[in-house]
Amino acid sequence: MAPVAPRSGDAIFASVEHVNAELFTLTYGAIVRQLLTDLEEVEEVNKQLDQMGYNIGVRLIDEFLAKSNVSRCVDFKETADVIAKVGFKMFLGVGASVTNWDADGTCCSIVLGDNPLVDFVELPDTCQGLYYCNILSGVVRGALEMVSMKTEVTWVRDMLRGDDAFELQVKLLKQVPEEYPYKDDE
Amino acid sequence: MGREVSESCIDGLLTEMVSSYCNRFYSNTPELAARRIEAIGYQVGHQLSERYTMERPRFTDHLEAIKFICKDFWSELFKKQIDNLKTNHRGTFVLQDNKFRWLSRMSGDPSVENGTQDPESKAAQAMSMYLYFPCGIIRGALSNLGIPCAVSADISSLPACSFVIRIKV
Amino acid sequence: MIVCVAVVGHQNNPLYIQSFTEADDALKLHHIVHCSLDVVDERVNNPKKSGLTLNETFLGLLYPTENYKVYGYLTNTKVKFILVTTDLDVRDADVRNFFRRFHAAYVDAVSNPFHVPGKKITSRTFAERVSNIVKSFGLSSAG
Repeated sequence: MAPVAPRSGDAIFASVEHVNAELFTLTYGAIVRQLLTDLEEVEEVNKQLDQMGYNIGVRLIDEFLAKSNVSRCVDFKETADVIAKVGFKMFLGVGASVTNWDADGTCCSIVLGDNPLVDFVELPDTCQGLYYCNILSGVVRGALEMVSMKTEVTWVRDMLRGDDAFELQVKLLKQVPEEYPYKDDE
Repeated sequence: MGREVSESCIDGLLTEMVSSYCNRFYSNTPELAARRIEAIGYQVGHQLSERYTMERPRFTDHLEAIKFICKDFWSELFKKQIDNLKTNHRGTFVLQDNKFRWLSRMSGDPSVENGTQDPESKAAQAMSMYLYFPCGIIRGALSNLGIPCAVSADISSLPACSFVIRIKV
Repeated sequence: MIVCVAVVGHQNNPLYIQSFTEADDALKLHHIVHCSLDVVDERVNNPKKSGLTLNETFLGLLYPTENYKVYGYLTNTKVKFILVTTDLDVRDADVRNFFRRFHAAYVDAVSNPFHVPGKKITSRTFAERVSNIVKSFGLSSAG
């Protein structure tokens, strides 16, 4: 197959169907509020948002690979870069950057300066333990698992808690070697 | 122009919201799951009607508000208007969307695939759960405009979807 | 100078009220806001008598007192905005512009998922925005 150049996040975002962000932002906010009412514990809400994100990430990865022309990345470093620059841009319309690599290249940070999930949001004092955007960490974890990288994703900075950016730390736990679809005679 | 996100974001979020409530939180009590999904829609509709009626004169009667839902409000959400509006002139309005976007895009719902029931009824069930969300949106929007009502959905002629609004007197 | 602004819910429940004076006249201003609500109701119920364009959100000058002018605005969702100013020579365009920006700030505040409809607006962002809008009253459309 002839190699096709990967497309930029901007180009893909321009080509996919859009909806106004308000609908998305307000829907997400209403879900978080309803979860807080139903599950009561902030910890449990964090967990469920992460789980919802994971399930979404598992499904979004196919669309991402198909539309971005990104050949499956082997390297964690390259993968993290593509997720931040192409993935975030393509779905949320905002680009992210990758920083804070550790020495052996298995841990880095994805940094977002802006994020449509938090437009209009102000956390009440009763929700200080809430990771409002926890769905995003789940999406990243789910998507990476589908390309055989098991990761742990945690929040380092959160603008809703007064930080100057959103920072997700992504730590590679295990990279499962790629299996070929026709090799099923084990 | 306002900010936008990819349509896959809202599709993914709605599918997951419905599946979380129906399969994880309230798997044995679908009526509770339905009520929660409707409540989420209600909050969204309530907030959206506040936004979308800015800089617009106040509505004089129910019909004017319903027409606003059919035209401007629907266009903001789905980039198209409601195709047909009917009323019995006694407080019931039927809004038909010939190709309701959220239904035409939800074919790949995974919650449908792993059931023991026959897949068709499971799919219909998931679809009706999903529709509590737009019903909630409409009810939230109208109630914020001072029109208390009940809203239900009818999908007997897919891909068309009708929303039945009964105004409470 | 704007001395007081208020947001009042559809059951005349105060959602936000803020005065901007050095003097200790908050009570008096609250009283003025309170009295203006009846005028709003009267205007809306008798649009012809008060010479309003039908159902426009901007209700114009509600009433002048000796020291103040009171303006009103009613959203489609039946929320009232009240503006009290000590300026004697107020341009209509400035007041309209004020209410438009105030309304936008209000809409963003109630879009916070944690805001409960009908409850007081406690948002710090909203308070800051309102204070900026109040400060720039009459400046933006000058000239």
